[in-house]
Amino acid sequence: MGYKIEETAGFAIVHLEGDVDLSRSPTARQAILDCLQERQHVLVDLTAVTYIDSSGVASLVEGFQVSRRMSLDFALIGVSDAAMSVLQLARLDQVFPIFASLDARLAQTDPRT
Amino acid sequence: MPAINQQSEPVIEIRELITYYGERKILDGINLAVESGEIMVVMGGSGSGKSTLLRHLLSLNRPAAGNIRLFGKAVNKLSSRALHQMRQRIGVSFQGGALFNSLNVEENVAFPLREHTRLDDNTIRIMARMKLEVVNLAGFEKLMPSQLSGGMIKRAALARAIVMDPKLLFFDEPSAGLDPVVSADLDELILRLRDAMGVTIVVVTHELESAFRIADRITVLDKGKILITGTTQEVKESDNPRVQNLLNRRTEDIPVNADEYLQRLTDDLAGL
Amino acid sequence: MTRPAHFIAHTGRVSLAAIEEMGYQFTLFAESLYWLIAGPFVSQPVRLSAVADEMMKIGVLAVPVVVLLSFSNGVMMAIQGIATLQEFDAESQVVPGIAYSVTREFGVLIAAIVVAGRSGSAIAARIGSMQMSQEIDALRVMGIEPVRHLVAPILLAMLLMMPVLTLLADSAALIGGGLYTGIVLKLSLSTFIDRCFDTLAVYDLMQGLVKSLVFGILIALIACSNGFSVTGGSEGLGRATTRSVVLSIAAIVVADMIFTYFLNR
Repeated sequence: MGYKIEETAGFAIVHLEGDVDLSRSPTARQAILDCLQERQHVLVDLTAVTYIDSSGVASLVEGFQVSRRMSLDFALIGVSDAAMSVLQLARLDQVFPIFASLDARLAQTDPRT
Repeated sequence: MPAINQQSEPVIEIRELITYYGERKILDGINLAVESGEIMVVMGGSGSGKSTLLRHLLSLNRPAAGNIRLFGKAVNKLSSRALHQMRQRIGVSFQGGALFNSLNVEENVAFPLREHTRLDDNTIRIMARMKLEVVNLAGFEKLMPSQLSGGMIKRAALARAIVMDPKLLFFDEPSAGLDPVVSADLDELILRLRDAMGVTIVVVTHELESAFRIADRITVLDKGKILITGTTQEVKESDNPRVQNLLNRRTEDIPVNADEYLQRLTDDLAGL
Repeated sequence: MTRPAHFIAHTGRVSLAAIEEMGYQFTLFAESLYWLIAGPFVSQPVRLSAVADEMMKIGVLAVPVVVLLSFSNGVMMAIQGIATLQEFDAESQVVPGIAYSVTREFGVLIAAIVVAGRSGSAIAARIGSMQMSQEIDALRVMGIEPVRHLVAPILLAMLLMMPVLTLLADSAALIGGGLYTGIVLKLSLSTFIDRCFDTLAVYDLMQGLVKSLVFGILIALIACSNGFSVTGGSEGLGRATTRSVVLSIAAIVVADMIFTYFLNR
């Protein structure tokens, strides 16, 4: 089963949900990479994520790096405390652009031009 | 504070464990429960049976009597398939690291993922490098184990132990053979891991300092029996003389018999 | 204890240990077969890359030595054969003599002894040092069966490479024998080879090849079991390595004798 992808305000928002673990992270990775392949700016929404393991985080890392190489925008939104502590462990909280929500992202100056 | 959930089932439950080595009794009626999310330190001198206890917890040895439950399941009743699956939720960092000598650091850390998952190669390599970041070994991916220092070996072994995001982590003698600064760093790392991953950790050690630094609870093992299990405070305040002996590192002072002592030193020598 | 009693007790202990060791080797064999056959169905396959790696180490790298030894052996058989047969004016019979003994006996024996010496020690040393550094335990606690990961690839590589090495050894020995015979008896190499093929039946070649499989299994099991049972530091490792080579060669020769007895009755 794939994840819901919503296109709003020039972003493709990938809504991850439930446990993003060894069995589900390949689907998440594919969804993110597919959006980037279509040259879309990507926001990954972690609001509905109950648990994310390092394979999930690794998929986000790969997506972020691909987006940078393609000069596309990439950010995480709705990062829960649990997900944040997983990111912090490898100091990735200092790497990803992280926003509370889509609105918070849009409130920022738009780097997409 | 970590979320220690006293209500849920213990992650480890040992009941009346008895083991022998040949004729010799190594463990004699061990009872112990480790709660989810806590750091339990098993402490004891050499010959206390702590290494044997660890081997049983890892299902490397079979007990003569008693049973061990991990994640609520009796280990000795598991099918080999179920045991195989359970082992993917358990990480182990061995005393000497036990890194595979034919693989470099990154390949070592990635090894369990390659064996157990069908993740994309990129994902696997990023995961391995993330764990190397966690243990501060970034940049050493391509080194072979023989090129690493003692502290680096322990770190790499820890990275490998946590690469599958285990729910239960065993750590055999984290500070053995390390200088105090490196050892303190490693202790810090163990605490961070527990807080970030909520993993239950069992540390087997004979190092007091390290034990008191990281433990939520300590079990003191002596001659195959548990002397005490309790918080660091309870262990420190224990009035059990053998516990106090271990804590104070007292070797009993044997009075010197001058004649015998001299005899021992000069026994069998020519011209005496 | 009196001396005879002591001797009997000692003999008993040694025999028990030997039986125990053979039992262990049989277990290794059975488990390896299990993983080779059933591994893919329980998603724990034996890695082909590991098998290829072992085939390289056991087989390909042994080729130069096997060829050299077999070639020399072929020449020596020709020298001895011609010298002996001259007394009966039957030098020309040296061809079937060499052809039979090479394909039935010496080709496979040389291949097996080279592999026992090279790989028997290397395998025991590798597994033994993994045992000492707890790498075997590490595999086990990761849920990776050491037998599947280490023994099965070695066993399969042996089964695949020993017949190949045997055929190579056969050819090298026949060429060696042929060249010398050609020089002494003025026989061209192609005539020699033709006459070899006239003499040889498939049965003769098969005899060597079947034995090569058995020898390969013996070497693999003896080397692995000695590796796994290393105790007592680097001295123990050295002991296990030596023991592995000596026992492999002994097992090969004894097995060969038994085979030869039954196959040539």
